[in-house]
Amino acid sequence: MTTATASHDEHHHGPEKGLMRWVKTTNHKDIGTLYLWFAFAMLLIGGALAMGIRMELLQPGLQLMDPHFFNQLTTMHGLIMVFGAIMPAFVGLGNWLIPMMVGAPDMALPRMNNWSFWILPFAGGILLSTFFMEGGAPAFGWTFYAPLSTTFAPDSTDFFIFAVHLLGFSSIMGAINIIATVLNMRAPKMKLMDMPLFVWTWLITSFLLIGAMPVLAGAVTMMLTDRNFGTAFFDATGGGDPVMFQHIFWFFGHPEVYIMILPAFGVVSHIIPTFARKPLFGYSSMVYATASIAFLSYIVWAHHMFLTGMPVAGELYFMYATMLIAVPTGVKVFNWISTMWRGSMTFETPMLWAVSFVFLFTIGGFSGLMLGIAPADIQYHDTYFVVAHFHYVLVTGALWSIIAATFYWLPKWTGKMYNEGLAKVHFWWAVISVNVLFFPQHFLGLAGMPRRIPDYSLQFADFNMISSIGGFAFGASFILFTYIVIDCIRNGKPATARPWEGAKGLEWTLAPKAQYHSFNTPPSRELIKSESQHS
Amino acid sequence: MSSVIIIVIIVGILLALGSGLLGLMRGGPEGSEKMFRSLVVRVALSLFLFGILMLSGYMGWIEPNAVIMDATIAK
Amino acid sequence: MNEKEYYIPDGTYWPIIGSIGISILLIGFANQMHGVSWGSSAMVLGFAITVFMLFGWLGQVVNESVNGQYNQQVDRSFRWGMSWFIFSEVMFFAAFFGALFYARMLSVPWLGGADNNIFTPDLWNGFSATWQQVAFTTPGTTLQSGTAISIPTKLVEATGLPALNTILLLLSGVTLTLAHHALRSDNRNQVIGWLVATITLGVAFLGFQVMEYGHAYADGLKLTSGIYGSTFYMLTGFHGFHVTLGVIMLTVILFRVQKGHFSANNHFAFEGVAWYWHFVDVVWLGLFVFVYWV
Ligand code: HEM
Ligand SMILES: [Cu+2]
Repeated sequence: MTTATASHDEHHHGPEKGLMRWVKTTNHKDIGTLYLWFAFAMLLIGGALAMGIRMELLQPGLQLMDPHFFNQLTTMHGLIMVFGAIMPAFVGLGNWLIPMMVGAPDMALPRMNNWSFWILPFAGGILLSTFFMEGGAPAFGWTFYAPLSTTFAPDSTDFFIFAVHLLGFSSIMGAINIIATVLNMRAPKMKLMDMPLFVWTWLITSFLLIGAMPVLAGAVTMMLTDRNFGTAFFDATGGGDPVMFQHIFWFFGHPEVYIMILPAFGVVSHIIPTFARKPLFGYSSMVYATASIAFLSYIVWAHHMFLTGMPVAGELYFMYATMLIAVPTGVKVFNWISTMWRGSMTFETPMLWAVSFVFLFTIGGFSGLMLGIAPADIQYHDTYFVVAHFHYVLVTGALWSIIAATFYWLPKWTGKMYNEGLAKVHFWWAVISVNVLFFPQHFLGLAGMPRRIPDYSLQFADFNMISSIGGFAFGASFILFTYIVIDCIRNGKPATARPWEGAKGLEWTLAPKAQYHSFNTPPSRELIKSESQHS
Repeated sequence: MSSVIIIVIIVGILLALGSGLLGLMRGGPEGSEKMFRSLVVRVALSLFLFGILMLSGYMGWIEPNAVIMDATIAK
Repeated sequence: MNEKEYYIPDGTYWPIIGSIGISILLIGFANQMHGVSWGSSAMVLGFAITVFMLFGWLGQVVNESVNGQYNQQVDRSFRWGMSWFIFSEVMFFAAFFGALFYARMLSVPWLGGADNNIFTPDLWNGFSATWQQVAFTTPGTTLQSGTAISIPTKLVEATGLPALNTILLLLSGVTLTLAHHALRSDNRNQVIGWLVATITLGVAFLGFQVMEYGHAYADGLKLTSGIYGSTFYMLTGFHGFHVTLGVIMLTVILFRVQKGHFSANNHFAFEGVAWYWHFVDVVWLGLFVFVYWV
């Protein structure tokens, strides 16, 4: 990169000095870092709320809090984790990695990139402030069904609505930026089918975001006017329908869950080939599978509403459409396993997370299939079985891939290596405790324990206690995680430019700690080909 | 029947508008040309649609919402 | 600027100013709705900051563009950005159109006992499941929130002001296309003329829309007139808001044309705004057909 044509005015080589750097920055790495730290802070806050939930559920009977506060905890836990932790973490990863992976110097719209991040702290602040308002925080669940969120909700709901508007605005801008970066800033010699899978999955996720987030904005806007201006969208007295809220919400909600898992698929599709030392099996089928999952995710929403009331034809349609998603998902799992088949595998920390992702995410996928059977869902719906399902796909799926990505690319971000021994301890600690935490919830759900309830009858006591103990252990594992990351940043041993022997990808051709602007001259065709996932 | 025609024209308008968006995205002389042509089509179709609406309203093939309602109030 | 180089802007304060402005605006709005005295002042302040940010930020972009700091790649990034932003707006409107169709085709008939007949007409005294069913609720009926339902005596006639407004908007589409044509053949005076015509038509549209609201309100058709009033005002209201934005943007474009910012080959800002205007125009057609007619 020594022949780099300076990208423009000469003074623009490194970061600015001082704290204002972080406020003013238009650099994709700075913004990625901001996103990741923000997401991590939110993960800890959301995790603390979850500790409160598990504490209350440790034993039957009301222990610590009144039910209304318990409802606030479950609601805010869900909202913070979805909108504050998982989504921003993936945008952070996208910011850091996509320009490097497509051979670009930065994102396409760097100022807007700054704005998409800097809306988040404000939105998060508004959301969290509702805890301190009269009547407490929103307590109607992260799905905020009407009329719980309209007629029967506290005043703080209006602040929640605005926070959702802001979060949605930020996500839309982030998605637009990623589309423009991938399609316009990509190295001229890189064809679409040369792109690494993380780039592909994020590109497709961006289209999901742009299609789904505005619908969410519409839903909360209708809530706002129903609450304050006397409209009747969700009120049958005026000819509206609370069920309509559910349709609109889940039209957003189901694409949303794939927004949180597609980039995870991308991450895993990088890590497994590296440590199996084989090219990714079935690259193009991975791309097509991702695209078909994205398409299908728009037409299955009412599987969340099997018990809400729907014509039988609707139930049948949504059941079969839901089942269909298992096909492309299965293709992906098959490809990951085939990539490992006869590879010379080693199990460094990122690989441990990635392999356990495949295993545990598949459990979540299977419980999803069970839930997708309309007649069976009559039994499962609104029980802990659903809670177990979505925590297997979101915690041991989405979150797992974020942690895997952190270990995998940390050397490139910091130029230093983390402590492998400690990281392995952390992995085993987390993977065991997370299963102690969530696996018993399957049994609780099958036995009929309802979700979002602070108290339960005695036959559920044992499994709940096991689950809570697993929860505390899992929560504590993040203390170790924090230590490992900070220790790496401060005391880590210098890393090489390509710390993983089998790693492919343009990002590994950069300096050990990637330079401030990634590629000032686009990489050559030869380099792109030799670093592609085909070779 | 009129409703079907109306909806078909609306779909046509949406397609022309979408194709204009593609032109806008592409940019450059060809993109500009594509955008311009699509938008001409969409304006022409819209005028046509308006004509059809007025005609079918006048001929009584369709009835505006307000008329239906006023009739029922009168009952 | 050289086509082979990448353009990367320097650091900027505009985004954080924007975030502060919008947050103050929304916090003020929420407090205003809850009857807190400083709510509306906060709204004004937040709005002012946001407008300041928009002018500052976009002004900077315009300057950089005029100074030739951008190349075709930057131009394309803007095109992609603007196009997908408008697409997100399409989806926002889709949510409200979805609500309109759902209510008309499903929830209102169901309330009248269609399909499985869970609801029977006796449920509401004198209830009739027609699209504008609110007119038949017994006077004095309240929504769950306690708000009294406002019963209109009359609905807006499609053939009156709305038809006139449709003509105005359609004509504005024609004049804008003519302006685009003139710009593509570098005829600046004609561009200015057609743009002025477009803006005038847009402003006239807004004026008549306000008049129409006045009539409707006087006839008792309000936001509180059940689902009909809700969809009517929210759809036309958001549309009017977008027309307002469009008029403002067209005006800015007009000034830029006068200053000679655009050439036959280089006029992204014009094309972006033009497409936006056509989009808003098509939304109106959809409204006109589905709210007033079919
Ligand atoms: C094989 C694919 C999947 C199928 C067939 C599936 C099916 C389902 C069904 C039928 C439900 C509704 C259960 C009920 O409420 O009774 C559900 C809930 C849920 N799923 Fe999945 N799912 C799949 C994958 C995923 C993935 C990948 C994610 C996220 C990354 C996810 C996240 C969720 C969430 C968050 C809920 C609960 C929503 C709530 O709070 O009610 N699912 N799933
Ligand atoms: Cu779903």
